Amino acid sequence: MGQFTQFAINGLMSGAIYALIAVGIVSVYKATKVVNFAHGYLIMFGAYFYFTFAVIIPGQEWAPEWLASWKPSWMLEMRKGLGMFSPLGAVLDWMANIPRILLGLVGAVSCNAILGRVVERTLMRPLMGQSVFAMIMVTVGLISILSGSASLIWTADAAFVPHIAPNTPIRFELFGTMIFLFGADIVNMLIALLIFGGIVTMVKFTKAGIAIRATAEDQSTAYSMGISVPKVFSNAWVLASTTGAVAGAILATRNGISPSLGLFGFSVLAIVLMGGLDSYVGCFIAAMSVGVLEAMTQWKMGGEWAAIVPYVAVLVVIIFRPHGLMGQKEVERI
Amino acid sequence: MLSVSDLHLSFGGIKALRGVNFEAKKGEITGVIGPNGAGKTSLFNAISGFYTPHKGRIHFNNADITGISPDKRASLGMARTFQNIALFRGMTVLDNIKLGGHTRLNTGLFSALKYFGSARKEELELRRDIEERVIDFLEIDHIRKYPITMLSYGLQKRVELARALAMRPSVLLLDEPVAGMNREETADMARFILDVQEQYGTTILLVEHDMHMVMDICSHIVVLNFGQQIASGTPTEVAKNPAVIEAYLGVAA
Amino acid sequence: MINGNLKADYSADERILNNRNKQFFVYGSMFFLTLFPVFADDYAVLMACKMGILLIAVIGVNVLTGYTGLISLGHGAFIAIGAYSTVIFSNLFDGLPTGILPFVVVPLAISVSAIIGIIVGLPSLRVKGLYLAVATLAASFIVKFLIEQDLFSPWTGGIVGIDTPVPNILGWELDTKREMYVLITVLAICTMLAAQNLFRTRVGRAFIAIRDRDYSAEILGISLLRYKLMSFAISAGYCGLSGALGAYFYARILPDQFGLNLSLELVAALIVGGMGRTLGPFFGVIIIMLVPELIKISMSSATGGSLDWARYTAPVQEIVFGLLLVFFLLKEPLGINQITDRMLRAINRWPFARG
Repeated sequence: MGQFTQFAINGLMSGAIYALIAVGIVSVYKATKVVNFAHGYLIMFGAYFYFTFAVIIPGQEWAPEWLASWKPSWMLEMRKGLGMFSPLGAVLDWMANIPRILLGLVGAVSCNAILGRVVERTLMRPLMGQSVFAMIMVTVGLISILSGSASLIWTADAAFVPHIAPNTPIRFELFGTMIFLFGADIVNMLIALLIFGGIVTMVKFTKAGIAIRATAEDQSTAYSMGISVPKVFSNAWVLASTTGAVAGAILATRNGISPSLGLFGFSVLAIVLMGGLDSYVGCFIAAMSVGVLEAMTQWKMGGEWAAIVPYVAVLVVIIFRPHGLMGQKEVERI
Repeated sequence: MLSVSDLHLSFGGIKALRGVNFEAKKGEITGVIGPNGAGKTSLFNAISGFYTPHKGRIHFNNADITGISPDKRASLGMARTFQNIALFRGMTVLDNIKLGGHTRLNTGLFSALKYFGSARKEELELRRDIEERVIDFLEIDHIRKYPITMLSYGLQKRVELARALAMRPSVLLLDEPVAGMNREETADMARFILDVQEQYGTTILLVEHDMHMVMDICSHIVVLNFGQQIASGTPTEVAKNPAVIEAYLGVAA
Repeated sequence: MINGNLKADYSADERILNNRNKQFFVYGSMFFLTLFPVFADDYAVLMACKMGILLIAVIGVNVLTGYTGLISLGHGAFIAIGAYSTVIFSNLFDGLPTGILPFVVVPLAISVSAIIGIIVGLPSLRVKGLYLAVATLAASFIVKFLIEQDLFSPWTGGIVGIDTPVPNILGWELDTKREMYVLITVLAICTMLAAQNLFRTRVGRAFIAIRDRDYSAEILGISLLRYKLMSFAISAGYCGLSGALGAYFYARILPDQFGLNLSLELVAALIVGGMGRTLGPFFGVIIIMLVPELIKISMSSATGGSLDWARYTAPVQEIVFGLLLVFFLLKEPLGINQITDRMLRAINRWPFARG
């Protein structure tokens, strides 16, 4: 039971990050009817941007010293005499990194926003109104462009990137066994859930969100009702790439950075289809279930089998519910 | 020949058909009329198997076909055309018409890959049959190699009829064969329909808005309104029926 | 109107090469391919073999995606299945005389691939478009994963790969690339002809009908179940053959050869060449294989073969690959075949105006 709880909690934590990535795919799909196969590679760019702004730039000679490591005298005073694994020490270590974490996050989000906009403008906009197949295949081509560019730009070996939150180990007892968690993981999960909730609320209640939903229902009608469909397109892409940047930063701290980070997007794509392409709620449920299932597989069958859990899950779900758990069935006409 | 008894069809809360009963007699032209949204096309879709009725039976050649799939109904000899032309845009006129012969051919995968031999013989046979029986008959020999997109609306409708005829159907369902056509094209199409009936003895069921044409060529008419069958009989009977006059607000009178 | 296109009977009109210009192009290409190994150097023959192997697979994907309209992003997996089946069956039927072994093993590999193709195709009966693309992608990840597992490594060699047998056709041992070239070219031409034949019969017409309007096709008497699965079986079988040839061609096969990149290459070659066109795969494969090769050659000559720059080659190739795909989707969605068609039309009408 204790083991089970531990793995279930781990699963929920990675599920939250899946949900954060899924939100980008679903938003782009809702607005443009395009499934972005390259979303994982946008995330990879987010991770690399975070790495650039949080590690490479502070490490330069011209960068101010406080940027790399902020150590005011009062902090040094407090740090003195604390043990290796003391919680306060971990917090203080984290505080020293705050400037570069902030720079990293701001840099990653804004650079990815620009990237998303550029992609939308140069590749998606010219195909507006044409076959969806072509647009999807463009995102497939984008996979190669992004993955090639990343290995061209960031040739240096990826080093350690600072955690977004203090990585204090937390231990507590639940159902009679010790549960062991890391502070950073919990904060990551909270960030992911907050962003997910925020976007769902935004789409539901704000004017921009209603524009997205109207466009999702019927592009040409929305256009004729005065909604600027191109603007909705580009907003959706910016939304996807910025949430992707945050997800990328989180993944960079968890799994390290490499061009293969992009493959992560395919697992999430499977999750999104499982949930139903146009349903935030369905995707959330699917993301959490896959997170937990993965953790369970890891526990029972070993780490490598966890890698195919999303793919097996999506095949099973599609056979029984062709439009995903909560997806809308398209009405067929002849 | 083709009979529908007590047919009910609904989509969620909307009742598209509520108890339709009629029989299309062998070798005759039966017309289905009714105002927009009366359920005419739904009726056709139920007969050709695209929709499953939730109550009632459909009989064809004395066999119950209510539960079988659309492609099986086609191989039993049921052909149809569509309201908004359903030609295959990726193929030429000739290939579209050849597609109508699908159910009559037997070529399997391996003989198709090989082509030479049985498949070739069968294809040439089909080509001759289509050229002589259909393309010549409908006077579309000048466009046989054209892609569908190059044809006018009236010609597309004619090609669709050609494709249905290539199936050598025993019953032919025509969904608004002259919708959107001018007088001359309508007259042409009406002549073709009558010729089909005369030459091949095909049973024809047609949905149409053009009241003149329906009255002229049909021997039996069924009138639908809001999914209900409000009248049925010969053109003169139907034209006098007060319920029909009311439904059409005097148009038919 | 096509000049000089008089036909006196239907069989003449039903031929594939129904005019002189097409005949000239096809027979000319075949003549060139026959002479090719005589004057080409080893490297060119090697490239030609690789192209031939990829071509057979792309023809298969063309049947499925181009003609039947079912998108697959996972056909690399069927090539893997074909390749691994060839190795596994060759080891299994060790006792058979080596001269007839390929005649047993290759059909078996094709069948295994086709059967798994049918299984993967099952969701296509209920889902379309995107869902199918992701389903095939998922299936391909699972296949690759299973090949890599230690559990199956006695048969597949696991992640480090496995050595492949040398093909021996009735005593003729094909142990050089030039001999493999003959086999691959003959098979590539045969498979291309077979695929073209499909579309002269009711089977191919049924595929196109399903692509254009599936429900109308069903009402015209085409069983969606039968033909969608048949299309999957054909495409998977073609990929299986391609994999079998790959196994014979390479001395060793590794799971990494059959990853996502291969599946994307198949689709990209199809789009660049022209989907749903006979010669589309042919043109597409040439571009998709030659352009990266030209980049490699020109980069190494521009930098004087310095190793510092060599590591940039792979990323640049990857980017150019993506750009090619995007360029064709934006500028010439019907692929190179559309360009050649325009040229052919102009030639056919000569000396009258183009149009």
